Amino acid sequence: MNLEPMPLFWLALTLGGYLLSRWLYRRSGRYLLSPLLLVPALLLAVAVPLHTGYAEYASNTHLLMLLLGPATVAFAVPIWQQRGLLARHWPALLLGMLAGSTVAIGSSWWLASALSLDGTVSRSLLPRSITTPFAMPVARDLGGVPELTAVFVMLTGVFGALVGGLLLKWLPLRSSLARGALFGVGAHGAGVARAQEVGGEEGTVAGLVMVLMGLLNLFAAPLLVRVL
Amino acid sequence: MNRARFRHLFRLCLELIALLGLYAIGCQLATWLHWPLPGGVVGLGLLLVAFASGWLKPATLQLGAGLLMAEMLLFFIPALMSLLDYGALLRSDGWRILLVIGSSTLLVMLATALTVEAVCRWRARHEP
Repeated sequence: MNLEPMPLFWLALTLGGYLLSRWLYRRSGRYLLSPLLLVPALLLAVAVPLHTGYAEYASNTHLLMLLLGPATVAFAVPIWQQRGLLARHWPALLLGMLAGSTVAIGSSWWLASALSLDGTVSRSLLPRSITTPFAMPVARDLGGVPELTAVFVMLTGVFGALVGGLLLKWLPLRSSLARGALFGVGAHGAGVARAQEVGGEEGTVAGLVMVLMGLLNLFAAPLLVRVL
Repeated sequence: MNRARFRHLFRLCLELIALLGLYAIGCQLATWLHWPLPGGVVGLGLLLVAFASGWLKPATLQLGAGLLMAEMLLFFIPALMSLLDYGALLRSDGWRILLVIGSSTLLVMLATALTVEAVCRWRARHEP
């Protein structure tokens, strides 16, 4: 449907839905009301009956996506503040991130070909374990579709935050470092929020590892392109 | 609006403009020098250099950086709406995609947590 009389309709709906969902989520603490789930559901519920395409929606809201750039710059603050933690524990964190990245890319690629998924979809699945502002440029480098990757990143976060809690009960993890890394590498943003509920140190480690995973994968992407 | 609140908002705006500026400089640098890096990452590097050299304190940008990171969800929700164009793909391949994401995420979490735990225990045994 043509919404030209209201050029900022989608931007207003996205912002309004976000603020409402954030308020509801903070009040109730119910995961189903998290903006990560509720806002896309709300937008789809309006856009599908109106036959709105992604191009039309994005022409309104690309301004919001532009803010992922300065948000990436802002990641320098937690890296710098946690440099002491990093100096003490970099071998464990680096090895954990290397193991996580290798398993993420290797198992996605192998499973996707075993299930004979389309090449573009498989390539969009590879950077799924890193946070969105990094995952989208990596997907572009690898020949995937950045927007599709954003969807896969979101699903990974939702699933990882749910399953990570169960894994913590079964795995004999003594160090808060391992518990934090599990969430930061496995479920990025959603995982960091979950790790903060487990403990302060876990949350800090998860947040740091999430950013470093993004950087590590971004710098490894050109190498990966040669292998694929 | 009282004065303290106004000053808080003013400060927040300044910090956000500074972060946007760093992003813009990062984009320009990457284009000029033909670096295959997103502008945000170059900006992140510049900001780390500024912290390390003592030109800037992290506290100076704490408000703006905190806001951008806390509301990051809002900035990538628009990309999720690409689902509007992939309805057919999800109907045909959706369950296979979910299977890949689910099993791979489980393996990633196991591999990461067990590696970090192993290194921590090894270090605890080998260090005084």
